[in-house]
Amino acid sequence: MRLKIIPVSILFLFLNCSVFAQVPTGFKPIFNGENLEGWHLSRTTHQGTTPDFQVEENYIIVKQQPYGQGGVLLTDKKYRNFELYLEAKIDSFSNGGIFIRSSESGIAYQIEFDESAGSTGSLYGERMPVSKVMQATSRAKVWKANDWNSFRIRMVGEVPHITLWINGVQMWEVKQPKNDFTAGATAGMIGLQSHWTALFSPAAGEWNGLNSWAPGATHCFRNIAIKELDKNLTE
Amino acid sequence: MLKKLGTMLLLGYDLFSAAPLWAQSETVTNSIGMEFVLIKPGSMLVGKFQPTVGEYKPPMPQPGEPTRPVLPESAYKEAEKMAQAASTPGFPVTINQAYYIGKFEVTQAQWQKVMGRNPAFFQGKQVTDNAGKHPVENITWQDAQAFIKRLNKLDKAHVYRLPTEFEWEYAARAGAEDDILWAKARTMGVISEPTTREVGTKEPNAWGIYDMIGNVWEWVEDYYNEKIFADPVPPRTGKQHVLKGASFTGDAKNATYLTHAAGPGNGFDVGFRVVMAVR
Repeated sequence: MRLKIIPVSILFLFLNCSVFAQVPTGFKPIFNGENLEGWHLSRTTHQGTTPDFQVEENYIIVKQQPYGQGGVLLTDKKYRNFELYLEAKIDSFSNGGIFIRSSESGIAYQIEFDESAGSTGSLYGERMPVSKVMQATSRAKVWKANDWNSFRIRMVGEVPHITLWINGVQMWEVKQPKNDFTAGATAGMIGLQSHWTALFSPAAGEWNGLNSWAPGATHCFRNIAIKELDKNLTE
Repeated sequence: MLKKLGTMLLLGYDLFSAAPLWAQSETVTNSIGMEFVLIKPGSMLVGKFQPTVGEYKPPMPQPGEPTRPVLPESAYKEAEKMAQAASTPGFPVTINQAYYIGKFEVTQAQWQKVMGRNPAFFQGKQVTDNAGKHPVENITWQDAQAFIKRLNKLDKAHVYRLPTEFEWEYAARAGAEDDILWAKARTMGVISEPTTREVGTKEPNAWGIYDMIGNVWEWVEDYYNEKIFADPVPPRTGKQHVLKGASFTGDAKNATYLTHAAGPGNGFDVGFRVVMAVR
Protein backbone atom coordinates (compact mmCIF):
# COMPACT_ATOMS: atom_id res chain seq x y z
CA MET A 1 0.00 0.00 0.00
CA ARG A 2 2.71 2.36 1.01
CA LEU A 3 4.73 1.45 -2.06
CA LYS A 4 1.84 2.48 -4.26
CA ILE A 5 1.59 5.95 -2.72
CA ILE A 6 5.21 6.83 -3.29
CA PRO A 7 5.19 6.38 -7.08
CA VAL A 8 1.99 8.47 -7.30
CA SER A 9 3.70 11.31 -5.42
CA ILE A 10 6.67 11.06 -7.72
CA LEU A 11 4.34 11.12 -10.71
CA PHE A 12 2.72 14.33 -9.42
CA LEU A 13 6.12 15.85 -8.86
CA PHE A 14 7.06 14.98 -12.43
CA LEU A 15 3.81 16.42 -13.82
CA ASN A 16 4.33 19.63 -11.90
CA CYS A 17 7.80 19.97 -13.34
CA SER A 18 6.77 19.31 -16.90
CA VAL A 19 3.67 21.49 -16.93
CA PHE A 20 4.47 24.41 -14.69
CA ALA A 21 8.15 24.58 -14.01
CA GLN A 22 8.97 26.12 -17.40
CA VAL A 23 7.37 29.44 -16.54
CA PRO A 24 9.59 31.11 -13.95
CA THR A 25 8.06 32.26 -10.66
CA GLY A 26 6.34 35.63 -10.75
CA PHE A 27 5.44 35.47 -14.46
CA LYS A 28 1.82 35.82 -15.57
CA PRO A 29 0.68 33.80 -18.61
CA ILE A 30 -0.38 35.96 -21.58
CA PHE A 31 -1.41 32.97 -23.72
CA ASN A 32 -4.17 30.88 -22.14
CA GLY A 33 -3.31 27.69 -24.04
CA GLU A 34 -6.80 27.45 -25.54
CA ASN A 35 -7.42 30.40 -27.84
CA LEU A 36 -5.91 33.72 -28.91
CA GLU A 37 -7.82 35.90 -26.47
CA GLY A 38 -5.69 38.95 -25.71
CA TRP A 39 -3.95 38.79 -29.09
CA HIS A 40 -4.73 40.21 -32.55
CA LEU A 41 -3.23 40.22 -36.03
CA SER A 42 -1.40 43.24 -37.37
CA ARG A 43 -3.28 44.41 -40.45
CA THR A 44 -0.56 46.85 -41.52
CA THR A 45 2.65 44.83 -41.42
CA HIS A 46 4.36 44.29 -44.76
CA GLN A 47 4.90 40.63 -43.77
CA GLY A 48 1.27 39.87 -44.65
CA THR A 49 -2.11 40.68 -43.13
CA THR A 50 -3.75 37.23 -43.09
CA PRO A 51 -1.30 34.74 -41.52
CA ASP A 52 -2.54 31.47 -40.00
CA PHE A 53 -2.08 31.51 -36.21
CA GLN A 54 -3.93 28.57 -34.64
CA VAL A 55 -3.98 27.00 -31.21
CA GLU A 56 -3.28 23.25 -31.19
CA GLU A 57 -3.13 21.34 -27.91
CA ASN A 58 -1.43 23.90 -25.66
CA TYR A 59 0.62 25.83 -28.19
CA ILE A 60 0.27 28.40 -30.99
CA ILE A 61 1.21 27.11 -34.44
CA VAL A 62 2.16 29.64 -37.10
CA LYS A 63 1.87 29.11 -40.85
CA GLN A 64 1.89 31.39 -43.86
CA GLN A 65 -1.51 32.15 -45.41
CA PRO A 66 -2.12 32.35 -48.31
CA TYR A 67 1.05 31.02 -49.92
CA GLY A 68 4.00 33.36 -49.40
CA GLN A 69 2.27 35.73 -46.99
CA GLY A 70 3.46 35.83 -43.40
CA GLY A 71 2.32 38.16 -40.66
CA VAL A 72 2.55 39.25 -37.06
CA LEU A 73 0.42 38.28 -34.03
CA LEU A 74 0.42 41.02 -31.39
CA THR A 75 -0.67 41.27 -27.77
CA ASP A 76 -3.55 43.69 -27.30
CA LYS A 77 -1.68 45.16 -24.35
CA LYS A 78 1.44 47.30 -24.53
CA TYR A 79 4.34 46.70 -22.15
CA ARG A 80 7.03 49.11 -21.04
CA ASN A 81 9.48 47.42 -18.67
CA PHE A 82 9.15 43.67 -18.57
CA GLU A 83 10.60 40.20 -18.64
CA LEU A 84 9.07 37.89 -21.24
CA TYR A 85 9.30 34.11 -21.10
CA LEU A 86 8.24 31.73 -23.85
CA GLU A 87 9.15 28.45 -25.47
CA ALA A 88 9.48 28.16 -29.22
CA LYS A 89 9.95 25.31 -31.66
CA ILE A 90 11.06 26.43 -35.11
CA ASP A 91 11.63 24.60 -38.36
CA SER A 92 14.79 24.96 -40.34
CA PHE A 93 14.33 27.41 -43.24
CA SER A 94 11.81 29.60 -41.50
CA ASN A 95 12.47 33.22 -40.64
CA GLY A 96 10.54 34.90 -37.87
CA GLY A 97 11.01 35.96 -34.33
CA ILE A 98 9.82 37.69 -31.21
CA PHE A 99 8.98 41.40 -31.46
CA ILE A 100 9.39 43.51 -28.33
CA ARG A 101 7.85 46.97 -27.83
CA SER A 102 6.26 46.49 -31.23
CA SER A 103 4.09 49.08 -32.95
CA GLU A 104 0.80 48.06 -34.57
CA SER A 105 2.50 47.61 -37.96
CA GLY A 106 5.31 45.59 -36.39
CA ILE A 107 8.08 48.17 -36.05
CA ALA A 108 10.09 46.63 -33.24
CA TYR A 109 13.26 45.34 -31.68
CA GLN A 110 13.36 41.70 -32.72
CA ILE A 111 14.84 38.50 -31.35
CA GLU A 112 15.53 36.79 -34.67
CA PHE A 113 14.69 33.19 -35.57
CA ASP A 114 16.53 31.89 -38.62
CA GLU A 115 18.19 28.53 -38.34
CA SER A 116 19.46 28.38 -41.93
CA ALA A 117 21.15 31.77 -41.57
CA GLY A 118 22.48 30.77 -38.14
CA SER A 119 21.10 34.00 -36.69
CA THR A 120 18.57 32.66 -34.17
CA GLY A 121 18.86 34.72 -30.99
CA SER A 122 20.29 37.80 -32.71
CA LEU A 123 18.90 41.23 -31.81
CA TYR A 124 17.75 42.99 -34.95
CA GLY A 125 15.28 45.72 -35.82
CA GLU A 126 12.09 45.15 -37.81
CA ARG A 127 11.42 48.15 -40.09
CA MET A 128 13.95 50.22 -38.14
CA PRO A 129 17.72 50.24 -37.82
CA VAL A 130 18.99 49.12 -34.41
CA SER A 131 22.06 50.93 -33.05
CA LYS A 132 23.69 47.84 -31.55
CA VAL A 133 22.93 44.52 -33.23
CA MET A 134 23.70 41.51 -31.02
CA GLN A 135 24.47 37.86 -31.76
CA ALA A 136 23.89 34.81 -29.60
CA THR A 137 27.36 33.44 -30.25
CA SER A 138 27.22 30.78 -27.51
CA ARG A 139 23.77 29.47 -28.49
CA ALA A 140 25.08 26.17 -29.91
CA LYS A 141 26.04 25.00 -26.39
CA VAL A 142 22.43 25.02 -25.19
CA TRP A 143 20.33 24.78 -28.38
CA LYS A 144 18.07 21.82 -29.11
CA ALA A 145 17.51 21.68 -32.86
CA ASN A 146 13.93 21.02 -34.05
CA ASP A 147 12.76 20.98 -30.45
CA TRP A 148 11.39 23.36 -27.82
CA ASN A 149 13.81 26.03 -26.59
CA SER A 150 13.05 28.66 -23.98
CA PHE A 151 13.61 32.38 -24.48
CA ARG A 152 13.70 34.88 -21.66
CA ILE A 153 13.96 38.52 -22.62
CA ARG A 154 14.32 41.45 -20.24
CA MET A 155 13.67 44.94 -21.62
CA VAL A 156 13.76 48.12 -19.54
CA GLY A 157 14.35 51.85 -19.92
CA GLU A 158 13.43 54.70 -22.20
CA VAL A 159 16.74 53.97 -23.88
CA PRO A 160 16.32 50.20 -24.16
CA HIS A 161 18.45 47.90 -22.04
CA ILE A 162 17.84 44.36 -23.30
CA THR A 163 19.04 40.95 -22.09
CA LEU A 164 18.44 37.53 -23.67
CA TRP A 165 18.65 34.09 -22.09
CA ILE A 166 18.15 30.90 -24.14
CA ASN A 167 17.39 27.74 -22.15
CA GLY A 168 18.32 29.62 -19.00
CA VAL A 169 21.77 30.72 -20.20
CA GLN A 170 22.48 34.41 -20.85
CA MET A 171 23.36 35.02 -24.51
CA TRP A 172 23.90 38.76 -24.45
CA GLU A 173 23.06 41.99 -22.67
CA VAL A 174 22.96 45.38 -24.39
CA LYS A 175 22.22 48.97 -23.50
CA GLN A 176 21.38 50.76 -26.74
CA PRO A 177 22.99 54.21 -27.12
CA LYS A 178 19.59 55.66 -28.00
CA ASN A 179 15.91 54.80 -28.37
CA ASP A 180 15.83 53.53 -31.97
CA PHE A 181 12.08 53.92 -32.50
CA THR A 182 11.02 56.53 -35.09
CA ALA A 183 8.38 57.91 -32.77
CA GLY A 184 10.42 57.31 -29.61
CA ALA A 185 8.13 54.58 -28.27
CA THR A 186 8.83 53.50 -24.67
CA ALA A 187 6.17 50.79 -24.60
CA GLY A 188 4.80 48.38 -27.16
CA MET A 189 3.26 45.02 -27.88
CA ILE A 190 4.79 41.56 -27.85
CA GLY A 191 4.71 40.15 -31.38
CA LEU A 192 5.27 36.76 -33.01
CA GLN A 193 6.36 36.96 -36.64
CA SER A 194 6.26 34.79 -39.73
CA HIS A 195 8.25 36.13 -42.69
CA TRP A 196 6.80 36.68 -46.18
CA THR A 197 8.31 34.93 -49.21
CA ALA A 198 6.12 35.95 -52.17
CA LEU A 199 5.19 39.19 -53.89
CA PHE A 200 1.63 39.67 -55.12
CA SER A 201 2.69 39.55 -58.76
CA PRO A 202 5.78 38.78 -60.84
CA ALA A 203 5.29 42.29 -62.30
CA ALA A 204 6.39 43.73 -58.93
CA GLY A 205 9.95 42.49 -59.39
CA GLU A 206 12.43 39.70 -58.77
CA TRP A 207 12.51 38.17 -55.33
CA ASN A 208 14.12 35.01 -54.14
CA GLY A 209 13.20 34.44 -50.56
CA LEU A 210 12.00 30.86 -50.34
CA ASN A 211 14.76 30.06 -47.82
CA SER A 212 13.01 32.50 -45.46
CA TRP A 213 9.99 30.17 -45.14
CA ALA A 214 10.07 26.69 -46.67
CA PRO A 215 6.80 25.40 -48.14
CA GLY A 216 4.69 24.21 -45.21
CA ALA A 217 7.13 25.41 -42.50
CA THR A 218 5.82 26.20 -39.01
CA HIS A 219 6.76 27.97 -35.79
CA CYS A 220 5.24 26.92 -32.48
CA PHE A 221 4.99 28.89 -29.22
CA ARG A 222 3.89 27.83 -25.74
CA ASN A 223 4.11 28.90 -22.10
CA ILE A 224 4.12 32.58 -23.02
CA ALA A 225 4.30 34.61 -19.83
CA ILE A 226 5.32 38.06 -18.73
CA LYS A 227 6.52 39.80 -15.59
CA GLU A 228 5.90 43.52 -15.68
CA LEU A 229 8.66 45.52 -14.00
CA ASP A 230 8.65 48.92 -12.31
CA LYS A 231 8.01 51.56 -14.99
CA ASN A 232 10.82 53.73 -13.66
CA LEU A 233 13.52 51.08 -14.05
CA THR A 234 16.28 52.15 -16.43
CA GLU A 235 18.83 49.36 -15.90
CA MET B 1 -34.11 59.24 -92.67
CA LEU B 2 -32.75 56.41 -90.62
CA LYS B 3 -29.30 57.86 -90.93
CA LYS B 4 -30.58 61.24 -89.78
CA LEU B 5 -32.34 59.65 -86.81
CA GLY B 6 -29.15 57.86 -85.93
CA THR B 7 -27.23 61.11 -85.98
CA MET B 8 -29.88 62.77 -83.85
CA LEU B 9 -29.76 59.92 -81.35
CA LEU B 10 -26.00 60.10 -81.21
CA LEU B 11 -26.17 63.86 -80.73
CA GLY B 12 -28.71 63.34 -77.97
CA TYR B 13 -26.45 60.87 -76.26
CA ASP B 14 -23.54 63.27 -76.42
CA LEU B 15 -25.57 66.21 -75.21
CA PHE B 16 -27.31 64.57 -72.30
CA SER B 17 -24.92 61.89 -71.24
CA ALA B 18 -21.33 62.68 -72.05
CA ALA B 19 -21.60 66.45 -72.18
CA PRO B 20 -21.52 66.98 -68.39
CA LEU B 21 -18.03 65.50 -68.42
CA TRP B 22 -16.82 68.04 -70.96
CA ALA B 23 -17.87 70.76 -68.60
CA GLN B 24 -15.56 69.49 -65.85
CA SER B 25 -12.14 71.00 -65.34
CA GLU B 26 -9.30 68.52 -65.16
CA THR B 27 -8.22 70.06 -61.86
CA VAL B 28 -9.99 72.12 -59.20
CA THR B 29 -8.64 74.02 -56.18
CA ASN B 30 -11.14 74.68 -53.40
CA SER B 31 -11.35 77.64 -51.02
CA ILE B 32 -9.17 75.82 -48.44
CA GLY B 33 -6.44 75.45 -51.06
CA MET B 34 -6.95 71.71 -51.56
CA GLU B 35 -6.23 70.60 -55.15
CA PHE B 36 -8.26 67.91 -56.89
CA VAL B 37 -7.75 65.86 -60.06
CA LEU B 38 -10.68 64.67 -62.22
CA ILE B 39 -10.94 60.88 -62.49
CA LYS B 40 -12.99 59.67 -65.45
CA PRO B 41 -15.04 56.46 -65.50
CA GLY B 42 -13.39 53.21 -66.49
CA SER B 43 -12.62 49.73 -65.22
CA MET B 44 -9.87 47.70 -63.60
CA LEU B 45 -9.13 44.21 -62.29
CA VAL B 46 -8.94 43.95 -58.48
CA GLY B 47 -7.47 41.17 -56.35
CA LYS B 48 -5.48 39.36 -59.02
CA PHE B 49 -2.97 37.34 -56.99
CA GLN B 50 -0.06 35.60 -58.68
CA PRO B 51 2.34 34.82 -55.83
CA THR B 52 5.94 34.65 -56.94
CA VAL B 53 8.44 31.84 -56.42
CA GLY B 54 12.11 32.60 -57.01
CA GLU B 55 14.47 30.31 -58.84
CA TYR B 56 16.50 27.69 -57.04
CA LYS B 57 19.98 28.89 -56.23
CA PRO B 58 22.62 26.41 -55.02
CA PRO B 59 24.63 27.12 -51.84
CA MET B 60 27.01 30.02 -52.36
CA PRO B 61 30.21 29.63 -50.32
CA GLN B 62 31.61 32.93 -49.02
CA PRO B 63 35.31 33.12 -48.11
CA GLY B 64 35.81 33.00 -44.34
CA GLU B 65 32.14 32.33 -43.59
CA PRO B 66 30.19 29.15 -43.02
CA THR B 67 28.19 28.27 -46.12
CA ARG B 68 24.51 28.99 -45.58
CA PRO B 69 22.42 25.90 -46.31
CA VAL B 70 19.66 26.31 -48.89
CA LEU B 71 16.44 24.48 -49.64
CA PRO B 72 16.67 21.68 -52.22
CA GLU B 73 15.40 22.23 -55.75
CA SER B 74 12.40 20.02 -54.95
CA ALA B 75 11.16 22.65 -52.45
CA TYR B 76 10.90 25.14 -55.31
CA LYS B 77 8.78 22.72 -57.31
CA GLU B 78 6.50 22.25 -54.31
CA ALA B 79 6.36 26.03 -53.85
CA GLU B 80 5.36 26.47 -57.51
CA LYS B 81 2.42 24.11 -56.97
CA MET B 82 1.37 25.91 -53.78
CA ALA B 83 1.66 29.32 -55.45
CA GLN B 84 -0.44 28.11 -58.37
CA ALA B 85 -3.10 26.75 -56.01
CA ALA B 86 -3.20 30.03 -54.05
CA SER B 87 -3.44 32.30 -57.09
CA THR B 88 -6.71 34.13 -57.73
CA PRO B 89 -7.86 35.64 -61.02
CA GLY B 90 -9.32 38.79 -59.47
CA PHE B 91 -12.59 40.43 -60.50
CA PRO B 92 -13.48 43.38 -62.72
CA VAL B 93 -14.56 46.64 -61.13
CA THR B 94 -16.25 49.38 -63.14
CA ILE B 95 -16.18 52.97 -62.02
CA ASN B 96 -19.38 54.45 -63.48
CA GLN B 97 -19.19 57.97 -62.12
CA ALA B 98 -16.45 60.54 -62.57
CA TYR B 99 -15.08 62.02 -59.34
CA TYR B 100 -12.36 64.33 -58.15
CA ILE B 101 -9.68 62.97 -55.84
CA GLY B 102 -7.14 64.92 -53.80
CA LYS B 103 -3.99 65.54 -55.82
CA PHE B 104 -2.17 65.25 -52.48
CA GLU B 105 -2.81 63.74 -49.07
CA VAL B 106 -4.56 66.20 -46.70
CA THR B 107 -1.80 68.29 -45.14
CA GLN B 108 -1.30 69.40 -41.55
CA ALA B 109 -1.91 73.05 -42.59
CA GLN B 110 -5.22 72.10 -44.24
CA TRP B 111 -6.27 70.13 -41.16
CA GLN B 112 -5.34 73.09 -38.95
CA LYS B 113 -7.40 75.43 -41.15
CA VAL B 114 -10.48 73.23 -41.05
CA MET B 115 -10.29 71.75 -37.55
CA GLY B 116 -8.43 74.49 -35.67
CA ARG B 117 -5.75 72.13 -34.27
CA ASN B 118 -3.02 69.81 -35.48
CA PRO B 119 -2.89 66.23 -34.16
CA ALA B 120 0.18 65.17 -36.21
CA PHE B 121 3.19 63.55 -34.59
CA PHE B 122 5.63 64.84 -37.23
CA GLN B 123 5.61 68.55 -36.43
CA GLY B 124 7.83 70.89 -34.42
CA LYS B 125 11.18 69.31 -33.59
CA GLN B 126 10.21 66.06 -35.33
CA VAL B 127 10.77 67.59 -38.78
CA THR B 128 13.37 69.90 -40.27
CA ASP B 129 11.23 71.45 -43.02
CA ASN B 130 7.71 72.88 -43.24
CA ALA B 131 5.52 70.55 -41.15
CA GLY B 132 2.41 72.28 -42.52
CA LYS B 133 3.12 70.69 -45.90
CA HIS B 134 3.54 67.21 -44.42
CA PRO B 135 0.47 64.99 -44.53
CA VAL B 136 -1.67 65.08 -41.41
CA GLU B 137 -1.44 61.81 -39.42
CA ASN B 138 -2.34 60.42 -36.04
CA ILE B 139 -6.01 60.49 -37.01
CA THR B 140 -8.65 57.79 -36.78
CA TRP B 141 -11.22 57.02 -39.47
CA GLN B 142 -13.76 58.88 -37.32
CA ASP B 143 -11.42 61.91 -37.17
CA ALA B 144 -11.21 61.88 -41.00
CA GLN B 145 -15.02 61.83 -41.15
CA ALA B 146 -15.18 64.77 -38.72
CA PHE B 147 -12.82 66.73 -41.00
CA ILE B 148 -14.99 65.97 -44.02
CA LYS B 149 -18.15 67.00 -42.17
CA ARG B 150 -16.62 70.34 -41.27
CA LEU B 151 -15.16 70.82 -44.75
CA ASN B 152 -18.63 70.30 -46.21
CA LYS B 153 -19.93 73.04 -43.90
CA LEU B 154 -17.09 75.41 -44.73
CA ASP B 155 -17.33 74.95 -48.51
CA LYS B 156 -20.94 74.58 -49.52
CA ALA B 157 -20.00 74.86 -53.21
CA HIS B 158 -18.78 71.25 -53.22
CA VAL B 159 -19.57 67.86 -51.67
CA TYR B 160 -16.72 65.95 -50.02
CA ARG B 161 -16.30 62.40 -48.74
CA LEU B 162 -13.69 59.66 -48.34
CA PRO B 163 -12.91 57.62 -51.45
CA THR B 164 -14.23 54.06 -51.59
CA GLU B 165 -11.46 51.47 -51.74
CA PHE B 166 -12.13 50.93 -55.45
CA GLU B 167 -12.08 54.67 -56.19
CA TRP B 168 -8.78 54.89 -54.32
CA GLU B 169 -7.23 51.93 -56.15
CA TYR B 170 -8.50 53.08 -59.56
CA ALA B 171 -6.95 56.51 -59.05
CA ALA B 172 -3.72 54.98 -57.69
CA ARG B 173 -3.33 52.61 -60.65
CA ALA B 174 -3.94 55.43 -63.13
CA GLY B 175 -4.46 52.84 -65.84
CA ALA B 176 -1.80 50.36 -64.66
CA GLU B 177 -3.13 46.84 -65.13
CA ASP B 178 -0.60 44.95 -63.04
CA ASP B 179 1.09 45.65 -59.73
CA ILE B 180 3.65 48.42 -59.30
CA LEU B 181 7.30 47.59 -60.00
CA TRP B 182 9.50 47.90 -56.89
CA ALA B 183 11.74 50.46 -58.55
CA LYS B 184 8.72 52.58 -59.47
CA ALA B 185 7.31 52.33 -55.94
CA ARG B 186 10.56 53.87 -54.75
CA THR B 187 10.43 56.77 -57.23
CA MET B 188 6.74 57.44 -56.61
CA GLY B 189 6.43 56.67 -52.92
CA VAL B 190 7.94 57.86 -49.66
CA ILE B 191 8.77 54.41 -48.26
CA SER B 192 11.44 52.97 -45.95
CA GLU B 193 12.15 56.42 -44.50
CA PRO B 194 12.32 57.65 -40.89
CA THR B 195 9.58 60.32 -41.13
CA THR B 196 6.78 61.61 -43.37
CA ARG B 197 7.83 64.05 -46.09
CA GLU B 198 6.18 67.18 -47.47
CA VAL B 199 3.47 66.04 -49.88
CA GLY B 200 4.32 65.97 -53.59
CA THR B 201 8.10 65.51 -53.36
CA LYS B 202 8.13 62.24 -55.32
CA GLU B 203 7.03 61.53 -58.89
CA PRO B 204 3.27 61.71 -59.57
CA ASN B 205 1.44 58.78 -61.13
CA ALA B 206 0.24 58.76 -64.75
CA TRP B 207 -2.83 60.86 -63.84
CA GLY B 208 -0.83 63.50 -61.96
CA ILE B 209 -1.65 62.33 -58.43
CA TYR B 210 1.04 62.31 -55.73
CA ASP B 211 1.90 60.00 -52.83
CA MET B 212 -0.76 57.37 -53.49
CA ILE B 213 2.04 54.99 -52.54
CA GLY B 214 3.80 55.69 -49.23
CA ASN B 215 4.10 58.78 -47.01
CA VAL B 216 0.99 57.96 -44.94
CA TRP B 217 -1.55 55.13 -45.07
CA GLU B 218 -4.86 56.46 -46.36
CA TRP B 219 -8.27 55.75 -44.87
CA VAL B 220 -11.01 54.80 -47.31
CA GLU B 221 -14.75 54.57 -46.72
CA ASP B 222 -15.05 50.76 -46.67
CA TYR B 223 -15.18 48.35 -43.77
CA TYR B 224 -12.46 45.67 -43.70
CA ASN B 225 -13.36 42.10 -44.70
CA GLU B 226 -10.35 40.52 -42.88
CA LYS B 227 -9.17 38.97 -46.17
CA ILE B 228 -6.04 39.50 -48.25
CA PHE B 229 -7.99 41.47 -50.89
CA ALA B 230 -11.33 43.23 -51.17
CA ASP B 231 -14.52 41.40 -52.10
CA PRO B 232 -16.55 42.64 -55.09
CA VAL B 233 -19.04 44.06 -52.59
CA PRO B 234 -17.51 45.52 -49.40
CA PRO B 235 -18.97 44.37 -46.06
CA ARG B 236 -21.71 46.54 -44.54
CA THR B 237 -20.24 46.29 -41.06
CA GLY B 238 -16.88 45.48 -39.54
CA LYS B 239 -14.44 46.14 -36.74
CA GLN B 240 -12.02 48.21 -38.78
CA HIS B 241 -11.83 50.28 -41.95
CA VAL B 242 -9.54 49.66 -44.88
CA LEU B 243 -6.17 51.40 -45.22
CA LYS B 244 -4.46 51.72 -48.61
CA GLY B 245 -1.07 52.62 -50.06
CA ALA B 246 1.32 51.93 -47.12
CA SER B 247 3.39 54.63 -45.44
CA PHE B 248 6.91 55.94 -44.98
CA THR B 249 7.44 52.92 -42.69
CA GLY B 250 6.36 50.56 -45.47
CA ASP B 251 8.37 48.36 -47.75
CA ALA B 252 8.20 47.74 -51.48
CA LYS B 253 6.46 44.50 -50.46
CA ASN B 254 3.31 46.29 -49.27
CA ALA B 255 3.67 49.71 -50.95
CA THR B 256 1.55 48.48 -53.85
CA TYR B 257 -1.82 49.19 -55.45
CA LEU B 258 -3.11 45.79 -54.33
CA THR B 259 -2.34 45.99 -50.61
CA HIS B 260 -5.59 45.78 -48.66
CA ALA B 261 -4.74 46.66 -45.06
CA ALA B 262 -6.78 47.93 -42.15
CA GLY B 263 -6.76 50.00 -39.02
CA PRO B 264 -5.86 50.91 -36.45
CA GLY B 265 -2.29 51.13 -37.79
CA ASN B 266 0.48 53.00 -35.98
CA GLY B 267 -1.29 56.36 -35.82
CA PHE B 268 1.78 58.41 -36.68
CA ASP B 269 1.72 57.10 -40.27
CA VAL B 270 -2.04 57.11 -40.93
CA GLY B 271 -3.74 59.92 -42.86
CA PHE B 272 -6.11 60.30 -45.82
CA ARG B 273 -7.11 62.13 -48.97
CA VAL B 274 -10.53 63.41 -49.94
CA VAL B 275 -12.90 62.83 -52.84
CA MET B 276 -15.01 65.69 -54.20
CA ALA B 277 -18.19 64.86 -56.10
CA VAL B 278 -18.56 65.88 -59.74
CA ARG B 279 -21.69 67.96 -60.19
